Amino acid sequence: MLNYAARQTGRLALGLLGAVVVAAVISAIAVPRAPGLAPFLAAVGTRLVDFARLDFGTSAISGLSAMDELGRRIPATLALVLTGTGVALIVGAPLGLVFGAGPLRRSAAPLMQIVAAAPVFCAGLALAYGAVHLLHWPVSINAPVRSAAPIFSSNARDLQLAALPMLMVGLAGAAAVQLALRRAAADSARGSYRAGLRRMGLSVIEIEWVYAAPLVIAGLLASAGEITLALLSAAVVAEWVFHRPGAADLFVKSVALQDWNMAALILFVFAALTFVVDFLGRLGAHALANEGKPS
Amino acid sequence: MSAAFDSPPHAAPMLRVILRVVGWCGLGLIAGAVALSDFLAHAPAGAANAGSILDAPSPAHPFGTDLLGRDLLSETLHGLSVTVGHALLGTIVAIVLGGLFGAVAARLPRPVGLALRGVMDVFAAIPALLLGILVIGLTARLYAPLAAGLAAAPLAFVRAFDRVDTKSTHAEYARATGISAATLLRRDLTYEFRDTLATVTARALAAVTIILSTVSFLGFGATPPARDLGLMIAAAKTSYLHAWWTAAAPAFALLILILCARLAAGLDESERP
Repeated sequence: MLNYAARQTGRLALGLLGAVVVAAVISAIAVPRAPGLAPFLAAVGTRLVDFARLDFGTSAISGLSAMDELGRRIPATLALVLTGTGVALIVGAPLGLVFGAGPLRRSAAPLMQIVAAAPVFCAGLALAYGAVHLLHWPVSINAPVRSAAPIFSSNARDLQLAALPMLMVGLAGAAAVQLALRRAAADSARGSYRAGLRRMGLSVIEIEWVYAAPLVIAGLLASAGEITLALLSAAVVAEWVFHRPGAADLFVKSVALQDWNMAALILFVFAALTFVVDFLGRLGAHALANEGKPS
Repeated sequence: MSAAFDSPPHAAPMLRVILRVVGWCGLGLIAGAVALSDFLAHAPAGAANAGSILDAPSPAHPFGTDLLGRDLLSETLHGLSVTVGHALLGTIVAIVLGGLFGAVAARLPRPVGLALRGVMDVFAAIPALLLGILVIGLTARLYAPLAAGLAAAPLAFVRAFDRVDTKSTHAEYARATGISAATLLRRDLTYEFRDTLATVTARALAAVTIILSTVSFLGFGATPPARDLGLMIAAAKTSYLHAWWTAAAPAFALLILILCARLAAGLDESERP
């Protein structure tokens, strides 16, 4: 376990270092310099030194420090991603477990392909249409109707406005969760240890509960990085579609307006988030898989 | 970023074959519709006032008309044509810089291969959508197809790199008998990459189409008057709540294109979402 943890820590460190370099390269575009490769590389070096001092530059749009601007915007995105994770687990876990083994798995495979073929923005627009026409909820897709409404609010209208982006992110995450679970469940169902354990007199429920369940959960944890990527991608689209002023929406606007300091910082934060979640997921998966593995 | 459990749950072999055939037939039909789009369409691309504004689907306009009175059947066919053309370009980029480069990198000296894998891991940790938007922002909207291909490439690279079994029997034999890495690579490209090319192409087409249509939806892709399906859906945002058909036709066409590509890829569910 220690060797594995050390290897994964090294991988995390290298990944974060790579993300810092990518962010420095993007941020260096904003640095005034002479044309040519050498001045650009010098600018990248300067930005790396600045990053080491936690100076991420100034936003060209707001004039604020990029860190301050991110600090204002990131809570909305994190809240969206966190609530989306909850929805993803609530919707995706049962789907993954029910369709993860047996004949249902085979019959569900084409159906899942059809559902997964819908791009997130199409799903978001469909959700908005359903909310307006079936539930008569307000939506903020064409005008920022109190779009800054917080996710955690006691006001029913605010909650309705926040529910759709949350659901949109959650459903995108649910697709990733059910896929990870189905993959893990199918792998566990093929495990050769099952026959041996049956011969030893263990019941199917015991085998599932004591040995298979940890492996399936480990499979889900091992895919934590992928699930995070799905959630972050969906958050970008959800914030854009529903006019929610979060960091993901700011990234799109920053690139459009060539605010490279801001774009670099947001990209770094998203990549770092993915690396850290992937790292924690891998460690958890390794621990669980070893615990569940029959000796 | 590959999962610990890499074996995907495959559908029954017969069902998989049938669905693959359905997927390829669907792609063939879409290619036919794209090739004949100028003949099948009632009006040229962007022709306003082909009918009255926001006409519901009718025999004259089977998919209705939009806010400018454009015939949506014609617009969807033209949009599909643009989307498919751009997606194919992006797919080539994704296959060459992702799948092919990944397979080559796996046969390079181990430290070099692992260094390349590490670099690609960093890009694979960034959502492909953001990567695509960034590349377009750094270049121009004109290069959206290339950007979508580049955005899909890191994942394709990682997958191709991991697929090459450096400890396979034939690789061990090659090393033991002094067969060069270049020969081994040529063998891999001739047999293994060639055999999976159709699957890789279909999967890349699905991924690139999703990225491309999403960046277009966000305003980073196709530029008018050449509207692709993503841009058409974005334009329908203001009207679709009371005129559903303005978004339904392009969305349905997009869904069918992605679905056919995914089915043609053979229900490989190990694909990252």
